[in-house]
This record gives sequence, C-alpha cells and structure tokens, in this order.
Amino acid sequence: MTSGFLRALWRLCSVQGAWNYERMTGVGMGHAAEPLLEDLKSADPARHAEASVRSAEYFNSHPYLAGLALGALVRAEYDLVPGPQISRLRAALTSPLGALGDRFFWAGVVPTAIGLAIMGVVAGYGLWTIAVVLLLYNGLRIATGVWALRTGLASGARVGTAIGESWLPGAASQAGLVAGLIVGLAVPLAADWLLDPQGLAAVGVAVVTLLAGLGAAWRLGPRITAVKFGLIAIGLALILAWGLP
Amino acid sequence: MSGLSGMTFALLSAWGALTGMDLVTFPQALLSRPLIACAGAGVILGDVATGLRVGVLLELFALDVLPVGASRYPDYGPGAVAAVVLASGGPWVEHLGIAALFALGLAVVGGWSLLWIRQVNGRMIQQAAAGLAAGDPGTIAGLQRRGLAGDLIRSLGLSAAALLLAQALHPVLPGGPRFALVTAAAVGAGVAAAAGGAIRAAGRGARLRWLVVGTGIGLIAAVLT
Repeated sequence: MTSGFLRALWRLCSVQGAWNYERMTGVGMGHAAEPLLEDLKSADPARHAEASVRSAEYFNSHPYLAGLALGALVRAEYDLVPGPQISRLRAALTSPLGALGDRFFWAGVVPTAIGLAIMGVVAGYGLWTIAVVLLLYNGLRIATGVWALRTGLASGARVGTAIGESWLPGAASQAGLVAGLIVGLAVPLAADWLLDPQGLAAVGVAVVTLLAGLGAAWRLGPRITAVKFGLIAIGLALILAWGLP
Repeated sequence: MSGLSGMTFALLSAWGALTGMDLVTFPQALLSRPLIACAGAGVILGDVATGLRVGVLLELFALDVLPVGASRYPDYGPGAVAAVVLASGGPWVEHLGIAALFALGLAVVGGWSLLWIRQVNGRMIQQAAAGLAAGDPGTIAGLQRRGLAGDLIRSLGLSAAALLLAQALHPVLPGGPRFALVTAAAVGAGVAAAAGGAIRAAGRGARLRWLVVGTGIGLIAAVLT
C-alpha cells in the first residue's frame, strides 16, 4: 500500500480532472485509489474488484482534503470492512470535508494569500511578492495533502475522530479571521494605488460607483454578483466617456 | 501590443490554458487567480507593470468568488491574460478600465464553458457505465485522461480566442483623458465587489470585527502614503 503513496498523492492533484454532475469527483478518486489498491489485487482479487467499483462512485469534497477520504476508504478496504459500511463512510465524509476545506482554504488561506500579494505589489515588491506567495501557498497545500493522505491511511473507518482531534477544525476557524483582517487591509491600499496618479474627479467617480455597488448589493443580495455589477458599471462608464466632449 | 510574435502568442496561449485548467482540474496551485495570471502574462510580454495593475484590479472582483464544488463561478485566467495584452503598450490609466471590462466578459464566457465541459464529462461517464460497473482501472484512467484533455482543449481554445480578440481590439481602443474615468469606475466597482464579498463572508461574528480593524488600518495607511 505504501508503494503507491506518491503516485496517489500526485493523482490527487487532479482529483477534479473528470468533474461531472453524476459522480462529481468520483472518477478522480477512483484514479487516485488505483495505486494504493494494487497490493490488494494479488492478495484478494475479488475484494480488489469490489474496491475498484466503489472507489469511483459518487464523491465530492474539497480537493485538497480528498486524501483524508481516499486514505480512509482504501484502509477500510484492506481492513475488510463490509462494502455497505465503506459506502456509508464515503457518503458521510462528503459534507464535512467540503465544509472544512472551503472554510480553511477558499474562505481563509486563499484570500489571505491574495491580500498579502496585493499589499506586496502595492508596496513595490512586484514579482518577488508573487513568487513568495506562490511558494508559501503551495508549500501549505502540499503539506496538507501529505498529512491528509497519511492520516486517512492510518485511521481508516475512524477518520472522523482523527479529523476532529486534528489541527484542521481550529485552523479553519482562525483562517477566516486572518482573511478578514488581510482583505480589509489590502482593498483600500489597492484602490489608492490604482487611483493614485488620477485627480479628484476620478476619486469622485470611484466613490460614486462604490456606493452604487454597495447599494445594489444591499437591495439585490446575491442576485447581483461582482462580475455582473462590474460589467454594468464599467460598461455604463465607457458609454458615458464616449459621449463626453 | 497589437502585433504579438508567433512565439509570444504561443507562450501566452499556453500560460492562459494553464491558468484555465488550474481553476478546477490541475494543478489548483493559485495560478488561476487574476493577479498571478496577469503577472505571468506581464512577464511574457515584457510589461510586468501593466500585468500587475490589471491583476490587482481584477483581484478586487475575484475576491468575492469562492470556487465551491458544483456552484457556478467565472473563469478569470484566460481572459485576464488577454486583458494584459489589451492594456499593454499604452497609457494604463486610460486602458485599465476597458481591459477590466474585457476580462470580466471573458470570465463569464469561461464560466459557461466550465458547465459545458462538466456535461461532456457526464456523457462520457454514461458511455463508460459498463466499465465503471466492473471496476475496470483502464476505464477509470481513460475517463480521467479524457476529462483532463477536455479541460486543456477548453482552456486553450478560450485563451487563443481571447488573445485574438485582444489583438483585434487593441488598435481601435479609444484614448484620451476622459477614459481615465472608466478606469476610476472600474476601481470603484472592484472595491464594491471586494467589500460586498468580504462583508458577506464575515457575517456578524469576530471576522467582521477583524475586517473592520483591517479596513481602518488600510484606510489610514492609504491616506498617509
């Protein structure tokens, strides 16, 4: 099982490679499971065939934490846990791993990394900032992937307890606070940097657009997305600018 | 920057394709973020300053987006790369807003293309039902390869089309001081998007307090610098 660890880890980098509405990341999980299940092929061919079928069934989670489920499910196959119980474990892991990963990475680490990158660029560090942020982010992502697969393989059907006792739930809560602070810092600095060489008229236009955007968000809620508002506001400004003498 | 050489066009197309794939399929390494995508395009074009300006502006819009599972979200990468081509080689103050409009439009098209590729993947899975039911590793590997190849084709096609469009539009871009107001409107819209997303994500708990503290410090720093 350990011989396939690195290949499984590599395949987890593209776990959403065949994402679809029927099985979501199921095919990617099956592809990543195959190197880990190789030893089962010679030891118990019938069990291997069953495990291969199960490995590509419906699954969805945060992609960086999919290793927790993959390791746990593969370990359960080697432990000869009954098939229906493995399928239930697979279904039970979907929501918690999705929610934890979304909170930690998408709503925490990513906005923090991008906010820091923006501040570095605004401060004049340019490409160095981009390089450092990419290195740190991907270092964390790879370390999390290794930890996830190892923890899953070590815990098997007890993976829920292992996740609950790990650093992840606490980090997911803290990451959001840091992201709030960093994004709060970065946005005014970015606006100042982009408007800096322009005059008061430009600042006025930006403030009016900002207030219109906040008003639209307050009145329309999620019906007005960032992209929709951007297209409308910039499009209108372009038409008005064209009409100016 | 309307006359890209063949090599530059190829490099930008490849970079745009990688940023497009990075969003969902491979390697999900932050390359699809507008700031990273635009910085890379700036390096390829030899105009890092414009790349960073376009990237920071587009990030204000992208900070609102969480690429969560089955939800719909825009694909910024390929359009952001082409937007740097559009904004490059001229006064950025006049062209930045137009480049942002261009990138946002293409991000929407990219989002639609993601839905399409997911449906294509679904049809491939239905066709391979027998192999999946038998647990055939070859069938699973084949589906994975075709899924990745499909996303590569999607991202490359989107990047190449966006670059061709940017090249065609570049010579006819309107200029003049009044178009700096379009850039100002884009900055205002971006700040509204980022603020709206941050407030929504913060809810009413401790994160909101941290956001308020950060914004306060950021505003003071912006005024003082």
